[in-house]
Amino acid sequence: MRNASETSTPPVASDPAVPAGRTFPLVRSIQIIALIAGGALILAFPELAPNAFILSTGVIVANYAVTATSWNFMGGFTGYISLGHAAFFGLGSYATALLITKAGLPSFLAWAVGAVIVGVLAIPVGVAALRVRGASFVIATISLVLILLLVFQAWAFAGGSGGMVVPRPFDVLRPEHHRIFFYLFVALLAVALLVWWLIDRSRLGVGLKAIREDEDKAQSLGVPTRNYKLAMFTLSATFTALAGGLYALWFGSLDPIFQFSILVASYMVLMSLLGGVRHLFGPLLGAIIVGSALEYFKVQYGDTQFHLVASALLLAIVVLFMPDGVIPAVKSLVQRLFGSEAASIREESAAELLEKDRSREEEAAR
Amino acid sequence: MNGPLIFQHVILGILLGGLYALLAAGLTLYFGVMRVVMIAHAAFLVLAAYLAWYANTEFGIDPMLSMIVTVPAFFFLGVAIQRLLITRLRPATLTMMSVLLTFAMALLIEGLLGLLFTGTQRRIQLGYGSASLELFGASVPVVKLIAFGLAAAALGGLYLLLKKSRFGQALRATIQHRDAAQLVGIDTDRVAGYGFGLGLATAAIGGTALSLDATIYPSLHWHWIGPLMAIIVVGGLGSIPGAAIAAMVLGVTQSMLQIPMGTTWAQTVFYIALFGTLMLRPQGFFGGRLAQRF
Repeated sequence: MRNASETSTPPVASDPAVPAGRTFPLVRSIQIIALIAGGALILAFPELAPNAFILSTGVIVANYAVTATSWNFMGGFTGYISLGHAAFFGLGSYATALLITKAGLPSFLAWAVGAVIVGVLAIPVGVAALRVRGASFVIATISLVLILLLVFQAWAFAGGSGGMVVPRPFDVLRPEHHRIFFYLFVALLAVALLVWWLIDRSRLGVGLKAIREDEDKAQSLGVPTRNYKLAMFTLSATFTALAGGLYALWFGSLDPIFQFSILVASYMVLMSLLGGVRHLFGPLLGAIIVGSALEYFKVQYGDTQFHLVASALLLAIVVLFMPDGVIPAVKSLVQRLFGSEAASIREESAAELLEKDRSREEEAAR
Repeated sequence: MNGPLIFQHVILGILLGGLYALLAAGLTLYFGVMRVVMIAHAAFLVLAAYLAWYANTEFGIDPMLSMIVTVPAFFFLGVAIQRLLITRLRPATLTMMSVLLTFAMALLIEGLLGLLFTGTQRRIQLGYGSASLELFGASVPVVKLIAFGLAAAALGGLYLLLKKSRFGQALRATIQHRDAAQLVGIDTDRVAGYGFGLGLATAAIGGTALSLDATIYPSLHWHWIGPLMAIIVVGGLGSIPGAAIAAMVLGVTQSMLQIPMGTTWAQTVFYIALFGTLMLRPQGFFGGRLAQRF
């Protein structure tokens, strides 16, 4: 018995990428229904929001969700934690603003061109930063934010420390403006989620996850680790820049201190970790939880530093007690409460495998 | 450009480099014993500066006397952080997660300082605060000399402790090869805790030195942690002499560049050095094999 279960392929129920095809039809249909319901709820949010302020909070949370999901291209697949994605967010917003005001491009063309430029800029940065792993990588990414903050505070062409004003793309009233941008952010989020999902199921995704689990082994097995990591870094930076550019178009003014803020970068990490970096919807879930909490704290406690303390404590708690995020934590809780379905499946399949092994042995003996 | 101006900036650069060297040595200690990059190091530095400022304004004590309390307090706090928090993290993801954990500590300290003392800029008014020495045409503020003296004394003490004492031997053994150190009978967990405490004590001394001649505010630590991390990467993670040399070289370079470029642009030299190092020699210029994997 013990022998059989050891020699057979190990039950990989814990890997979220695998069970898609294997889970019960019931579970699958519940997942699909939940997905549709969640999507409908998000799309209906502008109609449900009681006033323009709540609507603008929704736009901010949607922006957080896009940035966290973009961050998760790098953090979730490769396990490289970047604390520097605020740099790409800020670059995206500044590129959009500069292309509109200085080059005279139409708003959304500037947005797209800006994101492409940031993506190209991310390649040399990625080449340098990805030469090292772990701590040095984090240091390099943090430094990127700090250096860009210095540059944009001192660079008179981009407004210096006074920042920039971005002309609005639509000539509509404020609530209508929020509504349009909410849908734009949700559309961008949908694209990001779709791309993440496609990569998750592809050969590239498998290679990236191999890097996350053991980079040396992945390399020795022939995974082109550097190119894979660089591709993800660039993709992640481009999506973050798209979020930044959209933010610039929505908010209308840029201040280097807020655009190149380590805090923005840490929110992306916190949201993704809280939701669960290995899950498609993890960063989105984290963004909804953390983003709403942050906005609430800002309203409730105003200009004090309380939101800093709150996010610091939350980050520490997540890192110490649930580094895999709430999705696995809730899953294991549900399993403990309602008996473990997975265990019974596993036992069954182990028995089946034993049966198969036995019949194969009999065939071989014949 | 004239001679005395350049000379003055060289002197100021060396004085600043001394402080950088002490703080970078602290960062190196954390990294050596636990493979932890302590983002909160500069936040503790600012915390110590605030404590010195508070002692000075509330009780009228000379800021340097506050070290009698802050240095031991920070040492024990460091031991506690290592024993109670860092060791809780999973070994497999320790390096990444510890960065986030210490990042959270930095935010917490910044937020609490903001809540307690507001974001107002603070400065200690000292009787000898504006005095300066004339040295071959360069005028050097006395407080900067005192700050450098503190940093140099602390760094020298740390060197002697590491090289001459039994505990220092144990600490170096733990840094070099943890398992082997354990085999020869060193209680590596305890030594690692003390190493962490020593690192945090350097932040207490550095913070006191900083409070003497700098204007402090809660978010000041971001201006320190960037250069410090650049220094330890350029010097090679885990090498204290490397960190000290890199601190001196970069400190003087920054100070010299301030003449033609101004303060803001001069600070970018740290980050340019950082990315240059990553491209040319990712393990750092003085680092040993420790740096290779991290």
